[in-house]
Amino acid sequence: MSTEEADVVSVMLEGRITAETAAPIWQSAIRTLECNPTRPIVVDASRIQHVDNIGLALLFDLIRHERPPGARVEIRGLASKLDSMVRRHDPLEFAEPFAGRPAVGAIEMVGRATARQIVYLRELTGFIGACVHAVFTGRTRRAARLGDVLDVATETGANAVPIVLLVGFLMGVIMAFELGLVARQFGAVIFVVNGVGVAVLRELGALMTAIVVAGRTGAAFAAQIGAQKVNEELDALSTFGLDPVQFLVLPRLLASILVVPMLAALADVVGLLGGALVMTTFDVTFLQFYTQLLGAVTVWDLMLGLIKAAFFGVTIAAVGCHSGLTTGAGATAVGQSATHAVVASIVLVIVIDGFFAVFTS
Amino acid sequence: MDEVAPPVISVRNLRMGFGERVLLDDASFDIHRGEIVVILGGSGSGKSSLMKTIIGLHEPLAGDILIHGTSLVRAGAQEKSRLQRNLGVMYQGGALFGSLNVLENVRFPLDRFTRLTLAGKNLAVRMLLHELEMASAESLMPGELSGGMLKRAGIARAMALGSDTLLLDEPSAGLDPVTAANLDRTILSLRRNLEVTFLVVTHELESIFAIADRAIMLDPHSRAIIADGAPAALRDHSSNARVRQFFNRQPDPLTDRAS
Repeated sequence: MSTEEADVVSVMLEGRITAETAAPIWQSAIRTLECNPTRPIVVDASRIQHVDNIGLALLFDLIRHERPPGARVEIRGLASKLDSMVRRHDPLEFAEPFAGRPAVGAIEMVGRATARQIVYLRELTGFIGACVHAVFTGRTRRAARLGDVLDVATETGANAVPIVLLVGFLMGVIMAFELGLVARQFGAVIFVVNGVGVAVLRELGALMTAIVVAGRTGAAFAAQIGAQKVNEELDALSTFGLDPVQFLVLPRLLASILVVPMLAALADVVGLLGGALVMTTFDVTFLQFYTQLLGAVTVWDLMLGLIKAAFFGVTIAAVGCHSGLTTGAGATAVGQSATHAVVASIVLVIVIDGFFAVFTS
Repeated sequence: MDEVAPPVISVRNLRMGFGERVLLDDASFDIHRGEIVVILGGSGSGKSSLMKTIIGLHEPLAGDILIHGTSLVRAGAQEKSRLQRNLGVMYQGGALFGSLNVLENVRFPLDRFTRLTLAGKNLAVRMLLHELEMASAESLMPGELSGGMLKRAGIARAMALGSDTLLLDEPSAGLDPVTAANLDRTILSLRRNLEVTFLVVTHELESIFAIADRAIMLDPHSRAIIADGAPAALRDHSSNARVRQFFNRQPDPLTDRAS
């Protein structure tokens, strides 16, 4: 492609130089330039048939590099309108390197993430505070209408009953089976009832319900409110003088406080039922299960589970609604909000459960 | 220009619509290299659907679309995707990929379909962005762009592969007059310097008069092309009253509504 005569290196470009064909031409031309840093270079462009924007970039790339005087690159024979397009740009214009994503070190990342979580927790606490405040302000009774609360309660509660029953039942079955296999080795099968009873009532009923609700409802809250945010519906509400917190968040919050303990109670019942069914295979009858259970657990165990469920409900609804309200711009932001709502609410539910375990033992 | 070359886009006896609802019947027109053709018509007349049919995203109910003389309708999957790559498309909202910044969005087709070096690709993309006055936005994410910037980034991406034909869906809708005029100037300069062919869906009258060689007007009532010609000629001399009404931006006569 390049011929040398006297001290001038000449490069011949011909044919169509387009996105499809440019790669090898470009590389060999640049190589010629690099191999001859001190000699003048003439690029013969008279036989170019067609260039597209990639071809233009190639031509511009040839003349933009800084070279010593006497070793300039000159393009000859280029059609005049192409020539003016190539020369329109200042050679230094695109010199600065592309600012890629800034690299962040591991320690900095941990620090940033921690700071972000602390800010988030503070925000969330403030948000729950604002919600509680909204409950007690006078206008609320008009804003959070009973109908809205019941609508959300139906969707969050009644429609979740089948899946909560299934999960609760299987949880009781699994607990009883695993504990039973171990206990049988020590001849302590009857005490499996104590284990299942305490675990289901105090912990698992509420916890599994909360996880199901977080996945089903928390994500839905975030997506619904997030979509409204993206559509500027929240702005429209605000301009009508309606507070989005009162109008959208309170019904969901109140419904969740109401409904999650009910679901947890259902999970408790079917969990114990599942445990009792499995225990019959270990020769513990229903009646034995029942009497042993009455000795093993108290009303306080049941109440503790239900109180926790109410707290979980508030947390899930608050995290979901908060994610929705803080949704960014664009449809992708709605998906991010929903994901964040599920992850954050499950983590928070388990953290809260931990606090309960410490303070009630 | 090469006289023997087939039209860039040729629409032959096209019938288009959704199931029973036919939007356009027996429509034919050719678009030649270097032409700027505007498709216009009232809301719901099927402008955007016609564009999507030409790109091959919608199957026509009957008729044929030829790209550089090759049928898009009868093409196999591989041939179809090769033909589609000849057409650069800007969708109404820009349709940028949300997880990539502007430069990466515009570079995307180059990354997928060429073997250029990264430096070469970045240079080509930056020259394009500079051309469209988007140089300062290269490292922004789509979520951070205004409507006009999204459209210009969309045009840059449509052009990245050196497509000689660009289809623009409502390029100037929602832009301020200065940005819209800049966009018109860019379109004219691309045609003049690179012989790019344009098919533009729009109903911005000022933009139509500024750029269009030809306007093709669709009519939902007769489901046909009711006008095909230079915008100024259609405005002043069209035999169809609806066409003159459109170009002169006149309201419907009140008596029509009373009846």
